Amino acid sequence: MEGNGNGYKMRVNNLNMYYGDFMALDDISLDFASCCITALIGPSGCGKSTLVRCLNRMNDLIDGSRVEGEITLDDENVLGTGYDVISLRRRVGMVFQRPNPFPKSIYDNVAYGPRLVGKVEKEKLDFIVEDSLKRAALWDEVKKILDRSGQSLSGGQQQRLCIARVIAVQPEVILFDEPCSAIDPISTQKIEDLMAELKKNFTMVIVTHNMQQAARVSDYTAFMLVEEQGQPGRIVEFGDTNTMFTNPSDSRTENYITGRFG
Amino acid sequence: MDARKTDRIATVGFWAIGIVALGILAFIVIEIFIRGFMTAINPSFFAGKPEALKEGGGIGPMIVSTLYLTFLTMLIALPVSIGAAIYMSEFAHEGRFTRFIRFCLDSLGTVPSIVFALFGMTLFLFYLDWRTCLLAGAITMALLNLPVLLRSAEEALRLVPQTYREASMSLGASRWTTVKKVVLPTAWPGIITGTILPLGRIMGESAVVIFTVGVFVRSIPISPFDPAAPLAGYIWYVQSEAIVPDYRSIVNGGAAVLLILLFAINFGTRWLSKYYSKRKSLGG
Amino acid sequence: MARERYMKTLFMVCASLSFLAILLIFLFIFKESLPAFTNIGISNLFSASWNPDKGQYGMIAFLVGTILTTLGGLLLGAPLGIGTAVFLDQVAPPKVANVIRRGVELLAGIPSVVIGWFGLIILVPFIASITGSAGYGIAAASVVLAVMVLPTITALSAETLRSLPIELKEASVAMGATRWQTIRKILLPAGKEGILVAVILGMGRAIGETMAVQMVVGNSSQLTFSLFQPTGTLTSNLVTNMGEAVGDFRAALFAQALVLLILAMILILTIRFITRKKEA
Repeated sequence: MEGNGNGYKMRVNNLNMYYGDFMALDDISLDFASCCITALIGPSGCGKSTLVRCLNRMNDLIDGSRVEGEITLDDENVLGTGYDVISLRRRVGMVFQRPNPFPKSIYDNVAYGPRLVGKVEKEKLDFIVEDSLKRAALWDEVKKILDRSGQSLSGGQQQRLCIARVIAVQPEVILFDEPCSAIDPISTQKIEDLMAELKKNFTMVIVTHNMQQAARVSDYTAFMLVEEQGQPGRIVEFGDTNTMFTNPSDSRTENYITGRFG
Repeated sequence: MDARKTDRIATVGFWAIGIVALGILAFIVIEIFIRGFMTAINPSFFAGKPEALKEGGGIGPMIVSTLYLTFLTMLIALPVSIGAAIYMSEFAHEGRFTRFIRFCLDSLGTVPSIVFALFGMTLFLFYLDWRTCLLAGAITMALLNLPVLLRSAEEALRLVPQTYREASMSLGASRWTTVKKVVLPTAWPGIITGTILPLGRIMGESAVVIFTVGVFVRSIPISPFDPAAPLAGYIWYVQSEAIVPDYRSIVNGGAAVLLILLFAINFGTRWLSKYYSKRKSLGG
Repeated sequence: MARERYMKTLFMVCASLSFLAILLIFLFIFKESLPAFTNIGISNLFSASWNPDKGQYGMIAFLVGTILTTLGGLLLGAPLGIGTAVFLDQVAPPKVANVIRRGVELLAGIPSVVIGWFGLIILVPFIASITGSAGYGIAAASVVLAVMVLPTITALSAETLRSLPIELKEASVAMGATRWQTIRKILLPAGKEGILVAVILGMGRAIGETMAVQMVVGNSSQLTFSLFQPTGTLTSNLVTNMGEAVGDFRAALFAQALVLLILAMILILTIRFITRKKEA
């Protein structure tokens, strides 16, 4: 499985994930090629969000959650004891399903990440904020109202604000957990265009239940499935997006894509 | 990284705070029990009659006073607060009147207990010319606890799913019938567990009882119009007058008895609410 | 149907009792304190000398006592209460949180006489031993008040924190913030309104707290700003003297009760003001 020549930014090797005794993910192996977009698709409840939250160890927040296996970032295992989770999350950022700007001004929302590291001079901060908002295709709409609360924007704008907020930290990977499911179609389009641009600098993983979106936007696609209720999620098929959608190898993939279920 | 070091320090700090909070409770309870437990469990103490001048007095009538007062208070307070909660939750539309009542309740809830005590004293002892008695205390206490009880009852009523009411009314039942036959029975366990909460407050209340019920009696009160001496007020009285030579051990013992009573109620309430929620999940 | 209307009216009367109660309380307290304003006069009532035998009924000493002990109690109790709330909500593992939560609940149930007695037999001698004073006074009262307001502030602050949307915390954590950074920069600011209400309600409790304060504050009428001199508060003075007071003396005490009542109302109105729905 080739990347675009730059290799794999992150790899998942034989990952099992448990909530207490319940196994949520079974033997997941996956590679995320650098500066490419990889989509995770599958019916609701198949574990896509769970998997993506393992990548930046957000599942650590849940009591009783446990993982086995390996997740590497630049060939280093992020699940190892002693691995610095804080720095992991700065290198692997996340955009959530529902926009969640802080109850602060637009400026302070974007500046939040950079400020975490320490004092930043005003000029540098101004530059970072403007640059991030531009790259999130939001600058023109908010450049005159940076003082206004981030929560006063429309849904689509809020989501782009959250994207700008993540960009400001200069991560290497950005995870999108169903970023457009709570957004109107026009904003969705803007965000999809945005992703194509961001690909140049960031490795991206997008979870989506919208297959057309996956087909439009991604370079690689992984299809996940839960066989029946109570079973863990597994990868059914993983490959180049074009191939997946025109000539899938697994019949279950074909059924899902052609809409026979899910 | 500086932020990480701060985070570690903060974590230690928060643990220390949590331990201190728990430690305060432990410290107080242990000290009181060390001094008073043996006295408290001595039958000649908790069942004996008090002494005004000599040593060796007991707190029998005081315990009875406390229980009797609590019973009377609840007798008065429960119907009123449940009735008011029913009105607020089932009959009234949210509007000027309900907002006004809530404001009155909030205000009532902030009035210091000493002011309630003086109010009770003025109303019952001056105007109605009663003497200090259980009933005066009970009515005053009922008013004091009205806000808490009403809120608990209202919450319990709100937990009843709206669909039950809709189903009942769509079958032609009036609002009152719906409340009586559907809402109240469903909310009842919640109301009970919620109203047990103030029991502890009532038993521990001293300012009100000092001014409306009494601080010393020799025998067990029988009628609601008899004077009485609930334990919390008696303890205060004994330590402030300090007449009897063994006042310290009486106060220690009395405090220990109070704590035992209150902890019993606290654990009893928990057990009760667990029991009711088990019954619910088993389809009881 | 008549029955329906009858029951509705009955319940409405129950609800209206709350209004009747607060109205009566105001009326009675005000009426009983009236002689103080007519016979004693405002300048006497608000002077600093309290000498009932000589007809001096100045309540300033007690007002100052109330203010200082309340501030002291909040200074100690609010950070501890808020800190405990944060600990319970963000730091403690579930089992530990449970134990501490129950502990704080039990603490809330301890009667004020018991806490006052504890203060009297343990705290006061302790203060006396390290300062050489008698041990009574504002310091002792502040500690006792801190213990009494702790459960209130903790419970309400914890509730505030618990009701914050989880997305706020997630967004911050996902950006690599440490737990303390998330608490300090996001959670506490987001919860500041609820926490402020918690502290104000704690203040209300502290102002109105009677028995525990009365047992350790010293019950003197001396106006003092020292932490270790016996003094008095509005509430402690009422308990100490109301039993035997008659005539003008009694009216003066009721005037103090009126002041307490007014302070309580100010707090309620402050809370209402803070929590009024902001126009969108």
